[in-house]
Amino acid sequence: MTETFLVARNIAKRFGALTALANVDLEIRSGEVLALLGDNGAGKSTFIKILAGAHPPSDGELVIEGHPVAFHSPKDAAASGIATIFQELALSENLSIAENVFLGRELKRSIFGIPFLKRKEMRQRVDGLLKELDAHISDPEAPVGSLSGGQRQAVAICRALNLNARLVIMDEPTAALAVAETRKVLALTRRLAARGCAVVLISHNISEVFEVADRIVVFRRGRKVAERLAADTNHEEVVSLITGAHPDVRALEKTN
Amino acid sequence: MNAVRQFGNGVFSMNGREWSLLVACLLAIVIFSVASPHYATSGNAATVLRNSVELLLIGLGMTLLLAMGGIDVSIGIVMGLAAIAIGRVLGADGNPALAIIVGPLVGALLGCVTAAVVVLGRVPAIVGTLGLLGVYRTAVFVLLGGQWLSGLPSSLTNLLATTALGVPVPALVIAVAYLAVWLALRRTPYGLHLLAIGNSEEKARLSGIPVIKVRFITFVISGVLTGIAAMFYVATYRNVEMTIGSTLALDAIAAVILGGTSILGGRCSLIGTVLGVLLLRILQNGLLLIGVPSLWQPVVTGVLIIGVLGFEAVSNRFPLAQLRRARA
Repeated sequence: MTETFLVARNIAKRFGALTALANVDLEIRSGEVLALLGDNGAGKSTFIKILAGAHPPSDGELVIEGHPVAFHSPKDAAASGIATIFQELALSENLSIAENVFLGRELKRSIFGIPFLKRKEMRQRVDGLLKELDAHISDPEAPVGSLSGGQRQAVAICRALNLNARLVIMDEPTAALAVAETRKVLALTRRLAARGCAVVLISHNISEVFEVADRIVVFRRGRKVAERLAADTNHEEVVSLITGAHPDVRALEKTN
Repeated sequence: MNAVRQFGNGVFSMNGREWSLLVACLLAIVIFSVASPHYATSGNAATVLRNSVELLLIGLGMTLLLAMGGIDVSIGIVMGLAAIAIGRVLGADGNPALAIIVGPLVGALLGCVTAAVVVLGRVPAIVGTLGLLGVYRTAVFVLLGGQWLSGLPSSLTNLLATTALGVPVPALVIAVAYLAVWLALRRTPYGLHLLAIGNSEEKARLSGIPVIKVRFITFVISGVLTGIAAMFYVATYRNVEMTIGSTLALDAIAAVILGGTSILGGRCSLIGTVLGVLLLRILQNGLLLIGVPSLWQPVVTGVLIIGVLGFEAVSNRFPLAQLRRARA
């Protein structure tokens, strides 16, 4: 189940004189939830923007299933099966769930050269996806504007799945959610991995991370300072890794 | 399960807003019938419908523009320019077939100009079309040389102001235009893209929608509909005066907003636009018949716009309306 999907080798990103990211080696596996942790400015966001094709890396390479790739735009990343769910979800509140899931990639049939929507088919596909994710949304025709924050996350995840995403990057998906909603989104994250998707999760909430992540990677000052299996570590160790109090991090930062 | 189906709506399906517009139309008719003995005649009903033809066609295009978060305040003068072109062609050899081609063609061309300024030039639609309004207004004066285009041949009139299969040609053309716009809006990817852009251009772009293409096409569609409107204008009046179309944009925007289309984009109603046009024309005609000078017509339209938008702004502040919207 946990085959390697993507390997990042020696990734660096410089903005002028500022080094935002240096020497990052990382493996992302299908069927696994990988959590990226780190303080503000540690380089997590820069790293996922490189994965998502929003920034080109200054150095290093990305390898997907053995083939080196170079992304020039988010479209390239999407074509390689990488979907990013940003905090401010790119959903249209005035359109229905089904319409949002298919937006920009509608199913259509041509009648006299005019592309007509296959509304029934789109609705059924979305219905199936929602059931599969156990998203507790009964009507794919409901406008997204009427949904709660957690339900909107579910729609964004459906959209990613529908685009055949093999790696879903979630940027603080629970940051703006109430407790019950947070639980649902975490459960969704697990189900996504269970479907064989690779999931990269950015979060500031450490207990949340322990709940869903298989592996934890800690970034600090633009470097990857630690990688642990969630089962092999604990809350305190992770905090000390993030703050730099951990002996390993101190040793690393001394040698640099 | 029974969440509001505002999306799968049928060709003529109506919501509360649209029913109340229909009631308002009927109410106005009753009041004017009582107030004026000349009102409730078949001749007057025909006049009201006749006066609605151009506004219905232009209103359909304006509905798309507003739904997309756009607008075109120059649309009345665009119709004027198209009418001049039709008039010149008609005056030259009286060939109605050529005149019928010229209308939509000039409309499409001017739609391309507007789109070039607003979409490619990235000038906000309200400002860009206001600038074009100034340019076009002078163009009308220059093209007409200070004189009305009048006494045009009746060949176009004979073709368009008649009936086909027992239905007046204008009604037939409007029905086809309505159906085509409805299909585009509710049954094709174009309609979804248009509404997504009206909701948020940035999100639409992130969703992979070809935003520039959709916006450009919409201005061209509006231009073509306006060119067709010009055709009916020339067929009916057989002249083109200097002030042609000067209140049309105001009327069109008023009718569309009255019909329930959001001025901020993302939400629209075609049947609402049709009813909005009819209500506007019924009011204008009725007020004229009870003795209010036509000078006051733009005042009525202006007050309607401000009234509707003001009412919506106020009612949105009440929790009840918000609750209802949240459940929708």
